[in-house]
Amino acid sequence: MPLWFARGLRRGVVTTRYPARPDDSAAWLPTPPAFRSRRLTRDLVDRMVAACPGTALSRRDDTLVFDVGACTSCGRCAEAAPEAVASSGEFELAATSRSVLIKEIPIRGDEP
Amino acid sequence: MTPSLDEAEAARRLRDTIAAQFGRSLHIRTLDTGSCAVCEQEIRLLSAPHYDLHRLGFFFTPAPRHADLLLVTGPMVRAFDVAARKTYEAMPGPKVVVATGACALGGVYPKDPFVHGDVGQVLPVDVWIPGCPPSPLALLHGLGVAVGRLAEKTPGLTFIADGGQG
Amino acid sequence: MNPLDILYGAAGAWLAAGLTGLLAGSWRPGLRACCALSALAGAAAAAAGGWSLVYGNTRVVAPGPPTIVGGPLQLQMTSLAGVFVAVLGIAAVAIALYLPRYHEPGRGTAVYLAAYHLALLACLAVLAAGGMVTFLVAWETMSLACYLLILRHLRSDETARGAFWFLALSEMGFLLVVAAFVILSAKTHATQLDVMAARGHLVPGGWRAAAYLLALAGFGFKAGLVPLHVWLPEAHPVAPADGSAFLSGVVVKLGTYGIALFAFRLVPLAGSWPGLVTMGAGAVSAAIGILYALRERDLKRFLAYSTIENTGIIVTAFGAAMVFRAYRLPELSAFLLIAGLYHVANHGCYKTLLFLEAGVVEHATGTRDMDRLGGLVHRLPRSTVIAFIGTLGIAALPPLNGFVSEWLIFQGLFQGFRTGSHLAAILIVLAAATLGLTGGLAIYAFVRGFGIPFLGMPRTPQAAAAREPGQPVAGPALLAVACVALAVGAPVMLAALSRAARTVTGTSLGPLLLPGKLTVIPAHADFSAFSPTYLAIFLVAACAVPLLIYLAGRPRAGSVSVPVWDGGMVTFRPRMQYSAMTFSAPTRVTFDALYRPSVSVRRASDDDPAGRSGPVHYEAQVTPVFERYLYRPVVRAVEWLADAVRPLQSGDVNLYLLYVFLVILLAYLLGAV
Repeated sequence: MPLWFARGLRRGVVTTRYPARPDDSAAWLPTPPAFRSRRLTRDLVDRMVAACPGTALSRRDDTLVFDVGACTSCGRCAEAAPEAVASSGEFELAATSRSVLIKEIPIRGDEP
Repeated sequence: MTPSLDEAEAARRLRDTIAAQFGRSLHIRTLDTGSCAVCEQEIRLLSAPHYDLHRLGFFFTPAPRHADLLLVTGPMVRAFDVAARKTYEAMPGPKVVVATGACALGGVYPKDPFVHGDVGQVLPVDVWIPGCPPSPLALLHGLGVAVGRLAEKTPGLTFIADGGQG
Repeated sequence: MNPLDILYGAAGAWLAAGLTGLLAGSWRPGLRACCALSALAGAAAAAAGGWSLVYGNTRVVAPGPPTIVGGPLQLQMTSLAGVFVAVLGIAAVAIALYLPRYHEPGRGTAVYLAAYHLALLACLAVLAAGGMVTFLVAWETMSLACYLLILRHLRSDETARGAFWFLALSEMGFLLVVAAFVILSAKTHATQLDVMAARGHLVPGGWRAAAYLLALAGFGFKAGLVPLHVWLPEAHPVAPADGSAFLSGVVVKLGTYGIALFAFRLVPLAGSWPGLVTMGAGAVSAAIGILYALRERDLKRFLAYSTIENTGIIVTAFGAAMVFRAYRLPELSAFLLIAGLYHVANHGCYKTLLFLEAGVVEHATGTRDMDRLGGLVHRLPRSTVIAFIGTLGIAALPPLNGFVSEWLIFQGLFQGFRTGSHLAAILIVLAAATLGLTGGLAIYAFVRGFGIPFLGMPRTPQAAAAREPGQPVAGPALLAVACVALAVGAPVMLAALSRAARTVTGTSLGPLLLPGKLTVIPAHADFSAFSPTYLAIFLVAACAVPLLIYLAGRPRAGSVSVPVWDGGMVTFRPRMQYSAMTFSAPTRVTFDALYRPSVSVRRASDDDPAGRSGPVHYEAQVTPVFERYLYRPVVRAVEWLADAVRPLQSGDVNLYLLYVFLVILLAYLLGAV
């Protein structure tokens, strides 16, 4: 306690630098999906859109529109199309504008 | 639409003010607009020793008059409109509004006679934190972004697993 | 030229005012003229009272022909009465400024004005009485005139009942006072007060004690000592506001004047027990008065109980002065007399002010019930400020006048150890402790008494409908200024009072009490010192400094005004506020044994066979302890006696003739013997 106090007085800072080091406890958190765009076909995407209980997934022509903000990490899209969906492992997803959270993934599986 | 030079400058100055004022001492007021309370449990965990909010200089306060940041959860039930606006107005400026959880971001409930659907309909939100619920680490990151201590990661993320760019 | 001459002028002006009121009070110009005369007379009386503090006792004057009652009208202005005359004068001015806006011109007002000015004259005569007969005649006239005052708004049984309590207890007191005076007069063979005082040594010890106790009880009825106080909470609510103000501010003080008269002038007793008894009676009255005040919802009943509390404080001071005199500590005795008289002046100012404000509130909203008021600070801003000054004064908060006089009384009581007697020291400490409890409870009671009606939100539409224009402000404002002046000018007041005390007790305290111009050394040189003037200046400055810092340093740009944070509720309902009874609920729990509350709870589900819930009826009543256990048995005994004696008045002429015969026979036999 006296050490910390002395250090704080010397440096003029009383709060911790964050993050000091990466946290490994995050390894098992459920996170939003990442899509293998080369495996995505229109049928697959339609199945995934139907499986999503919220409004996170939708298809616009040849693009899968993924609203990260609406995703609840329920995993139903992964159940519907396991070969096209992987876990992104990202959970630090804060954004200063809503539009940044809407991602577009090209559907490449139909291409020759 | 790219912001003009003046707007970018103003935004930068605001960011700097907020970082200078709130970076190491922030008072957070939580607002539950009809959530299932799991987001609240994650928020409560922030005070626990493992995540320890206080080491960053962030504190929870019940009084909006003392608050700098409004942390909103829930889909903004219409019955809560007045209370939400009153809470926001009771906070002295400068103030930051952070909406967190899929409900608050509009992903769970559609707009209907009882619910707005997302918090942005009623309050001017500055930072969105996705998650259902957002883990305490996600919340810490979001709060850090809100005060300018940490950088956003989402603009750089594509959510494409096999490198195929869009 | 002496103060008595000025008082002749004041009395003449009041007489003229009374006649003007009686004849012309039905028209507004007549009402105004009457009040103008009354105000001038009041100012003259206040000046005369203040002057007589310094002048000393005048000669006894017997103006005019011998009166019918037997004995000439004898007038003398004494220093002891000076404070009381000054209070009478100031209160009269304030009430005169208040009357035109409060009363509507009419027949009732005309009679009321006549009765009020008769009461003023009678009070003046009591204070300026130089002889026993003058005193007693004036006293009884005052009681009867006040009875008429109380009956102004005879619209319900309540008014008659309240006035009757006042009259009945006044008469009982009067009987005891007459008895006391008769004892003294018979033993000293004199009716002039000066002569009775000079010949006090002729009265044997037992008779002296009896006379003093009779006087204490008799004047205690008027002053409001517990358990003789019962008329106060009954009469004050039903009297008009200025009548209540007059009763509490002046008439009750005359009771304390009577006690002081007997204690310090007429019957100086050797032993310490009369002083201890007086002090004990005062302390008990103070505590019980404020405890009952905390259970009152009616503003005026609340203020009436507060008057009882303050009477207790004054009588405690007088009693302690008697104790110190008995133990041969004349400086301390004079000091406590000064402190008691100072409290008389202070209470006369702020209690009158508070009653007048209660009248304004009742006038503006139509109700006296605290639980129906609220939010008056927005609707009656000036009245609220004035009432606030009065509240600060009566709660004895620095720097106002109540603080100064109570502080002095405490300083005097703390010297109890100097008496050298363990019993006296312990009893004095107990009295001081009781006064301390009273002081704390008084602050609590007045936070409630001011906060519930004036602050917060209006609890009923009537409270919300109150409007300031047309409400009397000048009278109460004058009293507020007087309160502040009495606080800041404490050194002047104390210098005058110590001159008066020298006339009464023969001890000069001037240089001991006020070594510098503005510093006061209460009680004893080694004990403490303070300066009320510097205290007032310091407190005002201490509040001004943060204010100036804020004004200089506050951010200039972009300040937004938003509503008070109310928890985000959609509507904030007035019923969510404290009510008067819940605010004082802790005292109900603590002092259960005194209040003996009777609580009844009736639930709708009790009567319903299916047990469905509905309205709950809750009623809590404080047991009227004194009425039930003291007065009712006495009344029943008197009724029993009357019933037993009734057969003597059967209406049978033959029996009456037999009585006549028996009395003649008896007279013949007695004459022969």
